[in-house]
Order: sequence, then C-alpha cells, then structure tokens
Amino acid sequence: MAPNNRPKADFSDVEGGSSSTAPSPSVGAGRSYTVKKGDSLSKIAKREYGDAGQWRRIYEANRDTIKDPDLIHPGQVFRIPEA
Amino acid sequence: MINPHRALLLAAFATSTIAGCKRGSDSASGGAATASGAATTTELAISEIQLGKKLSADKRVAQATTTFSPRDTIYAVALTQGSSPNTTVTARWTYEDGGQVVKEDSRTIAPSGNEATEFHISKPSGWPKGKYRVTLTAGGSTESKDFVVR
Repeated sequence: MAPNNRPKADFSDVEGGSSSTAPSPSVGAGRSYTVKKGDSLSKIAKREYGDAGQWRRIYEANRDTIKDPDLIHPGQVFRIPEA
Repeated sequence: MINPHRALLLAAFATSTIAGCKRGSDSASGGAATASGAATTTELAISEIQLGKKLSADKRVAQATTTFSPRDTIYAVALTQGSSPNTTVTARWTYEDGGQVVKEDSRTIAPSGNEATEFHISKPSGWPKGKYRVTLTAGGSTESKDFVVR
C-alpha cells in the first residue's frame, strides 16, 4: 500500500460553541428541600411553585434519589429547580 | 337482592377506607395521579443527531443537510431523552475517517425529559474539502453522523 503523503489539514483556527435547552446543573441546584412527614411531590410542588401539577419537575431533578414518585420519605433532601 | 340503603352504606364505607389509607400513611408519598407514567421514563440517551447549517429557537436544526460549503457554520444537535441532575454531552469532530481531530467540545447539563443540545463549529479560513464525522456522547449513549464539505 502506498504511504499517505497528503499533508495534514490545519484546523488550528476552528471556532466552536454549544448551547442546550437543558439547564446547567448549577442552575438546577439552586435550592433544596427536606421532606417532612406527610409530604408528597404534589404538596412540595404546590408549596414551591404554587402548582401541584409541577411535581414532575422536582421528580425529574431528583431521579437519582427518588425511585418511586409515589413513595418519598421524611428526611430526604431534594433539589428544587428554579421556577 | 341487596337493600339499596345497605348498598349505599357499603359504597360509602369503601370510599372512606381507601381515602383514609392514602392520607394516613406514615411515609410521605408522591400522591400524583400520573406517577406510574413518570416511573417509566428512560435513562438518558441520544435519540437522534441532527446536522445542518441553521438552528431554530428551540435548538433544533432548521435546515438539515449533510453537505456543506467551506465557509459554512456546521451545527450538530443531540436530541436526548431522559433525565439526570448532572451529565456531560460531548462532541468530537473528525476529518477523513478519524485521521485528524477537528475539534472536541463538551457541555454539562441537567436534562429533564426531551432536550436538545447543539454544538457548532466554523473555520474562518474555510473548511478543507472531504469527509467528516461528528460523534456525540451523552450518558452511556454514543451516536455518529457523517458529512462532507464540497
């Protein structure tokens, strides 16, 4: 096989960037909430956002600690995404 | 045959018992009617890569193509599904079958549901003509797409 003698291209002036519809982790970790007895994700959402229907935002932001959104426990600490 | 009054009493008792169980539970609970649906959300994965010359306001490619001109800005969008409190999406751009790395970039995000993360590159002096590839990685998911500059 013939050696590839083609000179390498010069990419030293390549410019780039990025953006996302997803927030950065620092934004999502703005506040925290410690679960109390009798709490539910809906109740926390109602308290934090004024809308119980926003419970999924808290659930999605804490998927690493919430295995079942119908079963949260007193003492758990959740991140509360910015409203 | 059941006495209608007795049937009503039985129904009322059953309803109050169910409600009492839910409210009287020792552990905190989700209490969300659609909770079972939420539990089926998948782990973070790339569902699609989009390539193009323009981006819309929702971070999706507005003008999809795999053929570019030397002066184009090239956009690659990773559409992801799933959620994570902290994950890194990386983009690796290569030239001529991976022989040369054009650029590598990454972005750390906290996705929740369907998200779009775009990476773009440009070269003021013009792209060399040839075959390129972009490989995007998010979570444990890796997807690639080839394109050409003519």
